Amino acid sequence: MVSKEEIENVAKLMRIELDDHIVHVDRVQKMIEYFDILDKASVESEEFDVQEKSITKLREDKYIPYDEKLIEALKNYKENYVRAPKMV
Amino acid sequence: MTKIGLEIHCQLTNLESKLFCSCKANYRGFEPNANICPVCIGLPGSLPRLNKKAVEKATMIAMSLNCNTPDKLAFFRKNYFYPDLPKNFQITQLNVYGEHSIGQNGTILVDDKEIRIRRIQLEEDPGRLIYEGISEKTQITLVDYNRAGTPLVEIVTEPDFENERQVRLFLNILSDLLDNLDVSNPSLEGAMRADGNISIEGGNKVEIKNVNSFHDLEKALHFEITRQESLISRDIPIEQETRHWDDKRKITVSARIKEGEEDYRYFLEGDIPWITIDSQTLNKLKADMPESISSKKERYITKQIPAQVAEVLSSDKFCSDLFELAHNESNAIVIANLITTDLMGLVDTDEKREKSKLTHQHLTDLANSIETKEITRTSAKTALQECVATGLPVSEIISTLDLGHISDESELNKIIDEIFIQEPNTVEQTKTNPETINYLIGKVMEKTKGKADPTLTLNIINKKLS
Amino acid sequence: MNLGISALRYVEEVKNGSFTIEEFISKTVEQIKKHDGKLHAYLSFDDHVIEQARNLDRKIANKEKIGSCFGMPISIKDNICVKGGKTTCASKMLENFVAPYDATVVLKLKSEDVIIIGKTNLDEFAMGISTEFSAYGTSHNPWNTDYVPGGSSGGSAVSVSAFECIASLGSDTGGSVRNPASFCSVVGFKPTYGLISRYGLISYANSIEQIGPLTRTVEDTAFFLNIISGFDPNDDTTIDNKNEDYLSNIDAGVEGKKIGIIKEMVGQGTDKEVVSATNNAIKKFEELGAKIEEISLDMIDYSVASYYTITSTEAGSNLARYDNLRYGYDFPLEGYEFNSYISKARKNFGPEVTRRMILGGFVPSAGYAGKYFLKALKVKKKLTDEINEAFKKIDFLIAPTVPVLPFKIGEKIDDPVALFLLDFNTVIANLTGKPAISVPFEISNGLPIGIQLIANSMQDKPLLQAAYALQNTVKLPEVPI
Repeated sequence: MVSKEEIENVAKLMRIELDDHIVHVDRVQKMIEYFDILDKASVESEEFDVQEKSITKLREDKYIPYDEKLIEALKNYKENYVRAPKMV
Repeated sequence: MTKIGLEIHCQLTNLESKLFCSCKANYRGFEPNANICPVCIGLPGSLPRLNKKAVEKATMIAMSLNCNTPDKLAFFRKNYFYPDLPKNFQITQLNVYGEHSIGQNGTILVDDKEIRIRRIQLEEDPGRLIYEGISEKTQITLVDYNRAGTPLVEIVTEPDFENERQVRLFLNILSDLLDNLDVSNPSLEGAMRADGNISIEGGNKVEIKNVNSFHDLEKALHFEITRQESLISRDIPIEQETRHWDDKRKITVSARIKEGEEDYRYFLEGDIPWITIDSQTLNKLKADMPESISSKKERYITKQIPAQVAEVLSSDKFCSDLFELAHNESNAIVIANLITTDLMGLVDTDEKREKSKLTHQHLTDLANSIETKEITRTSAKTALQECVATGLPVSEIISTLDLGHISDESELNKIIDEIFIQEPNTVEQTKTNPETINYLIGKVMEKTKGKADPTLTLNIINKKLS
Repeated sequence: MNLGISALRYVEEVKNGSFTIEEFISKTVEQIKKHDGKLHAYLSFDDHVIEQARNLDRKIANKEKIGSCFGMPISIKDNICVKGGKTTCASKMLENFVAPYDATVVLKLKSEDVIIIGKTNLDEFAMGISTEFSAYGTSHNPWNTDYVPGGSSGGSAVSVSAFECIASLGSDTGGSVRNPASFCSVVGFKPTYGLISRYGLISYANSIEQIGPLTRTVEDTAFFLNIISGFDPNDDTTIDNKNEDYLSNIDAGVEGKKIGIIKEMVGQGTDKEVVSATNNAIKKFEELGAKIEEISLDMIDYSVASYYTITSTEAGSNLARYDNLRYGYDFPLEGYEFNSYISKARKNFGPEVTRRMILGGFVPSAGYAGKYFLKALKVKKKLTDEINEAFKKIDFLIAPTVPVLPFKIGEKIDDPVALFLLDFNTVIANLTGKPAISVPFEISNGLPIGIQLIANSMQDKPLLQAAYALQNTVKLPEVPI
């Protein structure tokens, strides 16, 4: 069983603040417990199913300027810079 | 023994567009956030569209470093939160589920030592942060996403370097190689960055990050080796950690990353299918690869160009491109010589190269003029300078600057007569010491500003002395 | 004028001059005004629809050429970008997000002259099967407003079912089009992965989800598929369908076709009304000349766990960009440090999304990836192999779309695992990339039951033919609104 502390740590890494343990930690614990059913699946294959595409079908290298001033569609900018909180 | 490994990030600055969208690959010169679109700033609903040429050029880099290239390329997401990363994950490559990054297991010779390349991967560059105010503890961070999505090739080496000197040589070779492949201009600011890891005898591996230039890397490596050696000598264990290079204080400081904080949750990027590279495409890429520096050098040597000159010429793409167009079988040595002894000094920066009006035709014409004794080798240098500055035809430059050879016997006779009168002692000395003739020739050259035909001058002097 | 007509019929009637586009649009707007207060299918509206209708009417009067949709009113799930209006994903996190571009499907529809009435409700970021996880309130099932409409494309299904538009576009990650279609008695289709461009669909689990139409009839689905499917240079995962015409020969029938019933999908946990409806559908197919056989898939018991592991992982990454720096909602950043700011800002995620973020951080984490995420991928691969093997012998699979009847609002929201298991019949098509469709089939005590058909990859056209055949065996009552 996954411990509540582990769940709290992961939440922190995901930048998720937990203040309601019952609705979050307990239910997440139940969900993960359900996932344990995967232990019983007999899958030895190391392969995954992936879509493939030939290099010849990829986008050609061409510069096409975006036709709108996108920065103005964003919020929170100053002199054309996006503002972010301080880092330290 | 000291072991150093490198992670080099190189932007493919010569591409037209970014790795996953059609914004400009070389973001320099734009107003902040003027080179962005929904894809490169990760607007909800946007999807990456892989640039074909980025895959091709990165594959060429891998082939040049003797890497294996895979049949299928896979892209992964590296998940972490940072304001310069618009999606809060970076699309990159990884080899955990088989070898599916651009290249692996390569080698390159550095000063006769084989450096192994572990992996080469194609990924996107993040945006850039600007800290408002004077210190890191500012109130606000400003973000410019113009760089976000620029195609980046990461080259990871094995810890095969033993000292900073090998690192420097390797980086120079790599830089020339990328320039020669025409994928990147390594001299653009930020186009090439390198992180390193170091372990010395008896210590753990230490990663150094946040290094902004090759120059700083050398300093950081030097600092780290000294720091670690001093710890070992005092029996203080060296911890396995990541340290950041502090550009202002010129030291490395511990990044203090806690256990579990660096779980990037790598997983497959579902928006990009696995890219298959068929053998036909691969063969075409091989055929289209520019000639390697070492092959150029060998070829130049077969043209009787001295090895040292061939080496210098072949590793400079700007110059070797000029050489290729300018030379023919008979003038190769003269042109190689003109380029390496005179031209390289005249255009020693990117800026000067951009401004230069010199064409390969100038070099061909200059070599002809030397060969036909129209001008002397000394005058050729003056003419070259003029070609770079004005771009005027060589013939015009020769006549305007009056650089033509003096091969008129009567004129030379007159000049030499004058010198004989001015230098009676030297003339006397020639009877006992023939070497002093050179002094007289020098005087003639001085008087004619280097234009006198050297062979004719010697013949006349000898005639007069005998 | 009947608002409940099909898309194909609408086109005919506008061409015949039975009514003008403006008349139809005005009446649709009235219908919305009358019912949507209670049903809550829509989150936002376009204020200029009457103007658009008039413009198109004028073009018709002037004998100018107009697109094949003739101003048909449609709705779009609010996780698909329509330029200039809000796209919220029913989340407080994107309260103020205005998309500066149209999704590829929206562009294609606009170029055929649809009129987009508005954006429809969903579970926040499409995570849920009832719309109860919408940050802007639950939608109500028009068949019985005490009941959920299904989800996550619940608003889309309600809008089609309650005549608040003719058709809608939803997205289907694990049944999100088919489930509400089944609960609201409309047709819901999830195509082969890659058949419809996802450009402009706000990603939840990008490796398995697709946009799909919700319509009144199977023919309407084929009509819309003709418009929105095919290769898109803006989406590297799209496939070239060579302009297949899905509408032609839709009445080809199912004679001689082999239909497999997955026995695990009509067993334990399935409501008896649903089992009975499925058996009736099987009988209808037999009467139409199809052969039925029972099949079993070993990996099926792990499909839901695999599905939630994969979707949580991808969601954890896809939703990481919501840090409220470039777009989002108003929340000043002064005084905060980066990590504490985004952790605070991300409190605007609702409870289910919050839980999925944690799951999405956990199951692919370095210590647990092998136990959960990689295992889930392997199950996905093996399940695909198994179903591919099955499709060597049969043409279609049949199953109830949802194992249970529509349930009451609030009834199941507190049991996460019970909610998971309601996806049992639908996730298989997403995990294996196969096309699947839900066809309205019965009304049991006033609650709709849909039947699901699944076909092999790129067999979307035969699938629609089979669905059409099934549809024509029943005549269902009108929605009681």
